[in-house]
Amino acid sequence: MSLTALESQDVSIERIDNAAIKLDVQELDFYYGKKHALKSVSIPFAERAVTALIGPSGCGKSTLLRTLNRMYALYPGQRATGRIMFDGEDILRPGVNLAMLRARIGMVFQKPTPFPMSIYDNVAFGVRLYESLSKADMDNRVEEALRRAALWDEVKDHLSASGLGLSGGQQQRLCVARGIAVKPEILLLDEPTSALDPISSAKLEETVTQLKSDYTIVVVTHNMGQAARVSDYTGFMYLGELVEFGETGTVFTKPATRRASDYVTGRFG
Amino acid sequence: MEHTLRAYDEELEGLTAELSRMGGLAEVEVADAIRAIARRDVMLAQAVIGRDARLDEIEAEIERRAVLLIALRQPVADDLRRTVAALKISMNLERCGDLAKNIAKRALVIAEAEPMTKLTRSIERMGELVAGRLKDVLDAFAARDLDRAKTVWLRDDEVDEHYDSIFRELLTYMMGDPRTIASCAHLLFVAKNLERIGDHATNIAEIIFYEITGEQLPEQRPKLDALEP
Repeated sequence: MSLTALESQDVSIERIDNAAIKLDVQELDFYYGKKHALKSVSIPFAERAVTALIGPSGCGKSTLLRTLNRMYALYPGQRATGRIMFDGEDILRPGVNLAMLRARIGMVFQKPTPFPMSIYDNVAFGVRLYESLSKADMDNRVEEALRRAALWDEVKDHLSASGLGLSGGQQQRLCVARGIAVKPEILLLDEPTSALDPISSAKLEETVTQLKSDYTIVVVTHNMGQAARVSDYTGFMYLGELVEFGETGTVFTKPATRRASDYVTGRFG
Repeated sequence: MEHTLRAYDEELEGLTAELSRMGGLAEVEVADAIRAIARRDVMLAQAVIGRDARLDEIEAEIERRAVLLIALRQPVADDLRRTVAALKISMNLERCGDLAKNIAKRALVIAEAEPMTKLTRSIERMGELVAGRLKDVLDAFAARDLDRAKTVWLRDDEVDEHYDSIFRELLTYMMGDPRTIASCAHLLFVAKNLERIGDHATNIAEIIFYEITGEQLPEQRPKLDALEP
């Protein structure tokens, strides 16, 4: 038997079956003005699976997430080159309908961002932008989204109360419900539990696990335990590069690169 | 590289240090048990029996530390493999201690019977081989020496061959002179115990291989000559 297992590689990107890829990032570079924030990143996101992006602050993981629904297009001076293939179509090319794109690729942010309106309207808001549903259909849609976000039981008796009156954890699950109410295909989560207490975090993690059966989920997290618990695949980023990508079980028991090993074991970062 | 949390490093190193201490004790127990048989040394045999409790204590201590480390630090990757390896190696060493104690108990009985020098020589040679394997594998652990661990793993057959030849030798004795049956039966158990200590050394070699590489050694050991370069 060779001893190659000992010689850790510099970069290790595990291939996944092409048929399983929902979103395929290919040689993506990203610039904030002159700052080169992503350097030729290629990473596949598997369908109906959770992929976690981990790495120290400033490594580019949030930047990568924000390119996936072209959130950066809102800001001048930010640009991306490369390809992001979404069902065979490059979403970086000009002329992509960004409103439609963001309906298909939803996002939940680090801090809960409920709108100053009722719980019901928070969830229905996005749906009304894209679809005109009857009252009964909308009621069903709102209930389904709140159930899937594991919030229904807590709010079903006061749907007309303000979303701002909920606890932080409930607000975050409300944002998840709002995100999934428009029936996106992909859900991007940027540090979704960093502002939450442990119980609320656990509920959100459970929600993510439940949603996996229908959605492709990408989660950026600083919480290594969370990445290990909820994700099927893990990408480790460092200084704008993707250093290691593979199945989560492998990354956390037998990382292929020294840098990923040092990071997951708490030796730097 | 060191952990950002220094206490974590200290706990992992503490675990390894306890294990090294346990390994040293187990090595002495096995070597002394063999010597007690060879020299018909009753005092030494009693000392081996008395010291076994210390191995049990250290095993419990290693388990306590490893469980605490898993609960408080949630080790992953090489840290996790190191912790799991410490638990498994300590279990194997504890068994080695039990087997050495059993050999020592038989040494007490054998010392009262007529000496059978030729037989005890064979047992002693097998014992030295087994004790050497245990020492090698513990050195491999201390030095994180993968090649050395693999050598121990590959050479398991030698012990089995020794055991088979002692088995035949004992049968010949017992058939030739039924008065030796009691002593020979004890010596057969001694040989069997040595063979099992050898198996534990092989187990430890496998655990070290897993700890260092993250890979399992294959179920089947390749034939020795096929592996030599």
